[in-house]
Amino acid sequence: MTDVARPVLSTPTGARHVGDTGAVWRRRIAYTVLITYAVLMFVPFAWSVITSFKTLPDATQLTVVPQPFTVAGWDYAFNKLTPSLPVLFLNSTVIATVVTLTNLALGSLAGYAFARLQFPGRELLFLVVLATLMIPDQLRLVPVYLMLNGVGLTRGIGQYIGVIIVLAISGTSIFLLRQYFLSIPRDLEEAARIDGAGFFTTFWRVMLPLAGPALSAVAILQFQGTWNGLFWPLILLQDSSHYTLPIGLTLFRLAGGFTTNWPPLMAVVVMATLPILVLYIFFQRYFVEGIAASGVKG
Amino acid sequence: MAASGLAQPRRGPTRARSEAIAGYLFIAVPMILFLILNIGSIFYALFISLWRWNLRTGPVNFLGIKNYANALSDPIFQKAITNSLYYAVIWVPLTMAVGLFLAVVVNQKLRGRTFFRAAFYFPAIASSAAITTLWIFLAQPDGFFNSVRAGLGVNPIFSLFGIAPNQNWIADQTTALNSIIVLNAWTTSGTFMLFYLASLQSISHEVYEAAAIDGAGAWQTFWRITFPLLRPAHFFVATVAVIGALQLFDQAFIGGGVDGAPNNALMTMVLYLYNAAFKQFNFSYAAAIGIILFLVIFAATLIQRRFIGNTPSW
Repeated sequence: MTDVARPVLSTPTGARHVGDTGAVWRRRIAYTVLITYAVLMFVPFAWSVITSFKTLPDATQLTVVPQPFTVAGWDYAFNKLTPSLPVLFLNSTVIATVVTLTNLALGSLAGYAFARLQFPGRELLFLVVLATLMIPDQLRLVPVYLMLNGVGLTRGIGQYIGVIIVLAISGTSIFLLRQYFLSIPRDLEEAARIDGAGFFTTFWRVMLPLAGPALSAVAILQFQGTWNGLFWPLILLQDSSHYTLPIGLTLFRLAGGFTTNWPPLMAVVVMATLPILVLYIFFQRYFVEGIAASGVKG
Repeated sequence: MAASGLAQPRRGPTRARSEAIAGYLFIAVPMILFLILNIGSIFYALFISLWRWNLRTGPVNFLGIKNYANALSDPIFQKAITNSLYYAVIWVPLTMAVGLFLAVVVNQKLRGRTFFRAAFYFPAIASSAAITTLWIFLAQPDGFFNSVRAGLGVNPIFSLFGIAPNQNWIADQTTALNSIIVLNAWTTSGTFMLFYLASLQSISHEVYEAAAIDGAGAWQTFWRITFPLLRPAHFFVATVAVIGALQLFDQAFIGGGVDGAPNNALMTMVLYLYNAAFKQFNFSYAAAIGIILFLVIFAATLIQRRFIGNTPSW
C-alpha cells in the first residue's frame, strides 16, 4: 500500500522507482538542497551574534571570526544607549508577561463560559468575539489612542497600563480555549456538580487542569506576539524610558541612518530574538498549534 | 467568584439563573473591553473622521466627507495605495508558492522532516523589528549580500537589471519595496507552509493510489490532484495573505521611517495613516484613512470569496 502511495506523493525531487540509481541521486540532491536551505534559515541570526562581537570597521567584513574579538558593542548597548538594553529588555519582559497572564485568565474564563454555560445572548456575544478578529488594528489606532489619551493613559506610568489594556484579551485566546473546552467530555463536570461544586469551582478544579495544551498554545502565542509586537507599543509608549525592544531597535536604526553603529544594534537584535528562540526550541509544538489556530485571526 | 456557591443541581429555575449570572461574570471583562475598544472604536472612528479634531479639546468644526475626499485626491496616498497593491500582487503569490513548496517537501517521508519543518518555520518566530534591522544590515552597500554577490561573480547578471555592485537595497527607491517583498516572503513562507501542511495531511491516500494505478507521474499528480484538492487551503491562505499584505506597516516603517523614504518608495496605506496621526497630528484625517483601509480589506475579502471560494467543495 505505502509502496504504491509513496512515489506518487513525492515532489519532482522524489524517487519514483526506489532502487534505481537515478532515484538515489535525485534523493541525494534533494537532501543537499533541503539541508542547504535549512542552514540558510539560521545564517542571518548567526551573523547577528558574530557581528555583535566585532568592531564597526570589521562588521562589514565577510569574516566568521571577529577580528579582533570585542565586547565593546555589548558594553555600548548596556551602558551608552538610551534607553539601555537592560531597560528595553525589562520593559518587553514585563509587558509580554502581564499580557500573557491576562489572556490566560480572561480567555479561559470566557472560553469556558462560551463552551459550557447557558445564558441568554450567548451566541450573539460570541459573534461579537469573532467580529473583533475582523476589525483591523489600524482602524482602531485613532479612536483607541484618543480614548486612552482622554483618561490619561498615554502619559507616565499610564502608558504601560494603556498598552496592557489594549492587549489584555484577544478574541483568538477566547476562541482557542472555547474550542478546547468544547472537546472535553461533559461527564467530569456533571460529577463535580452533583458533588455540589459551584460553577467557578468546577471551572477551576476540574476543567482548567485539563486544558493544559490549549493554555500552553495561548501562552506561547500571546507571549511571542506581544514580545515581537511593534504597532501598539510604538503608538502608546511615547516616552523613551518605556520603550520595548522592537521600538528601541527601530528608532536607534532610523536615528543612526547609514552611519549606524551596527555591533551594539546587533547585540539588541540578539537579545530581542534569543528568548523567543529558547521558547521555540523547547515548545515548538505549541508554536505550531497556536499559529495554525490563530489563522482565524488573519 | 460570587457565583461559585450558588449551584443547586436539583432545582431547575434557580440553577439556570445562577448559571446565567456565572456566565455573564466569566465573560464580563473581555466583553466590556471589546465593546469599548473594538466595536465602539468603529463608531468613534466614523464620528471623528467627519470633524476637524483637536487632541485636547475634541471636535472643532464639522467637515463632512472632506477628509475622505482629501485623502483620495492626495498623490502621496495614491502612491501608498499603489505600493500596497504592488506589494500584495507580488508578495501574495510568491509567498504562497514558496509556502506550498515547503509544505509538499516536509510532507514527504523524509528522514528528519521534523527538523526541516522547524527550520523552515524558524524565520517566522522572530520579531519584525529584529529581522528587518538585520536585513537592512545585510543589505548595506558594503554588506553581506553584496559581498556574497561579488564573491560568486554574478554581478554582470545584476547589472543587466541596473543594479550596481554596491547597491544600497533599502535606501534606493528602485529596490526598496522589492527588498521588503523578498524579506517578507522569506519570513512568512514558513507560516504558510504550516497552513498548507495541515490540509495536505488530510488528503486521503486512496486518491493517490488511484492516480498511481492510472499511471500518473509525480508532476501530473501534483497539478491534477493535490493542487485542486487544496482549494479550501488556497482560499484560506490567500485571504490571510491579502489582509496581511494590505496592512503592511512594520517593515516599511523600520526600513524607511515615518515618511516611507526613499521618496515614498516604502509609503504604504497603514504608514500613511500613522504619518497622518503621529507626524501631522491630524487625527480626524487618520481616522478617515482607517475607515477607507477597512473598506478596502473587506472588499478584497469579498472578491476573493467570490473567485476562489465559490465551489462545491468549499
